[in-house]
Amino acid sequence: MGTSDAALVRRVQTGDTSAYADLVARYRDRLGRYALHMLGNREDAEEALQDAFVRAHRSLERCDDPERFGAWLYGILVNRCRTAGARAARRARRFVHDPAALESAPLPGPDAGVEWDDVVRRALARLAPESREAFLLKHVDELEYEDMARLTGAGVSALKMRVKRAREQLQAMLKEAERV
Amino acid sequence: MFEPVDDVIERIARHLRRPVQIDPALDRRVMREITALPAPARGGPLGEAWRWLRRPHQLTLTPLSGLAAAAALAAVVLLSRLDSTPSASPQAEARAFQFVLVAPRATHIALVGDFNDWDATRTPMHRTGSEALWTAVVPLVPGRYHYAFFVDGSRWLADPSAPVARDEDYGAPSSVLTVGGGGS
Amino acid sequence: MRPALTRTLLPLLAAIVVAGRTAAQQTDPRLERLDAATRAAVAALVDSARRALLPTEPLVQRALEGATKRASGEVIATAVRRLAADLGKARDALGSTASPAELNAGAAALRAGASPTILTQLRQARREPLTMPLAVLADLVASGVPVDSAAAAVLALAARARDADLVEFRRAVERDIALGAPPAAATAAAATAADVLVNAGARQQRPGRP
Repeated sequence: MGTSDAALVRRVQTGDTSAYADLVARYRDRLGRYALHMLGNREDAEEALQDAFVRAHRSLERCDDPERFGAWLYGILVNRCRTAGARAARRARRFVHDPAALESAPLPGPDAGVEWDDVVRRALARLAPESREAFLLKHVDELEYEDMARLTGAGVSALKMRVKRAREQLQAMLKEAERV
Repeated sequence: MFEPVDDVIERIARHLRRPVQIDPALDRRVMREITALPAPARGGPLGEAWRWLRRPHQLTLTPLSGLAAAAALAAVVLLSRLDSTPSASPQAEARAFQFVLVAPRATHIALVGDFNDWDATRTPMHRTGSEALWTAVVPLVPGRYHYAFFVDGSRWLADPSAPVARDEDYGAPSSVLTVGGGGS
Repeated sequence: MRPALTRTLLPLLAAIVVAGRTAAQQTDPRLERLDAATRAAVAALVDSARRALLPTEPLVQRALEGATKRASGEVIATAVRRLAADLGKARDALGSTASPAELNAGAAALRAGASPTILTQLRQARREPLTMPLAVLADLVASGVPVDSAAAAVLALAARARDADLVEFRRAVERDIALGAPPAAATAAAATAADVLVNAGARQQRPGRP
């Protein structure tokens, strides 16, 4: 225990594929958390996560800085989640962003017998994908805006707007829930 | 009754920061897939979106910090029913337990134990409030858990507020937490 | 056995044996953190525990703890073997209906020095899960309480005390020891106090009172 990412990456780069298993185990749960909240269900999250790990391995020689493997991998996952999300939207599955959906039945309040977990998941699902992405990166993974910009390719001010929009929408949804 | 805006957002964020456990079988699927694939050709088509990877960057995310730690202060969040661990009976319900350590001089602390396969990367502790206080929250089903704190990647510390794990199998100090319930 | 029956049964039996062996050979992927020799030894112990219907997760965790703490393969295998033996003894004492959590706590109590008889007496004294009484027994001994004193106290409380009462009792003993009381005396005093509280709680729950 305690082998650095860089050491493991170098081992993989020199042909020791089994070292990659350690990297997968190391990042599986943390990155899985992002994928789960972004995509809303485990099946899609695991698929995106697996895809990200496989792609990362395939392009490992492009990982310029093995010390930053985690961040690099994270960028791949964010991208995979966008693709997965778009695919799901096209198939008109659960997390289609539909402005009219905001007008639909309000979220149950905290006393309605529905668990808080359901409330949060449904609220997240109603956000536009780029708002949800920005909110998760900022408030759950607690990244700096500069890091978020590198990860997503969006500008800092665009990201700030998305986070602000997400906060306002979540706040509105929760207030609505408490009024019911 | 409305909570102030920031409190609502912080409540949601704390909830989302809780640890998530992905099925470890994913590891096997990944390894199977990468060993089945032919070796990647250099400069293969990987998409516009990854061009940024080749640019120098100063992201400060490391495996031991940065990518967020588990949420602290679970007590303020309504706890929902969590998935039980594979070893527990199907009816066992997990409850969130908060581990706390005062360590003003530490730069990184991992909570390591029977509940996370003794994997020092799974549950980094989170500095909260005063700089000296470190916390982590873990969902646990009834059972008895050995655990310890791994400080700055080099030092094992038992929990001063918990019973000592008596068996000296491995020389490094450990503590015990027993979660009640879980009868036959 | 008649020849025709043998012809039918033997291939079937062979298939069952092969299937069992294959299942056994599917080693827990987490054990891949161990070197090959240690992994084989631990996998065999886990497999044997599984066949004996003992919980295997504590054994895997003990091995992973050793791996993380960089113990040698031999030390890890010895630790796992010892725990497997303790789990078996706990099951003998607590009965086949004991839950994995109870068996794990029972193994800890046995390792701390409690006799199997104590475990059996606890089983007889208490209908609720034994995880907490057994754990408290092990924890008290780890704090320096002589095993006989700890066992006597836990047995006395086991029948009526809730898990929370037992935890409070253990904390009271540890506090008193930290303040300088001899462990046996601290245990006796805390047990008496706990017994009073447990009885008071039991009185409040008598039928007729809301």
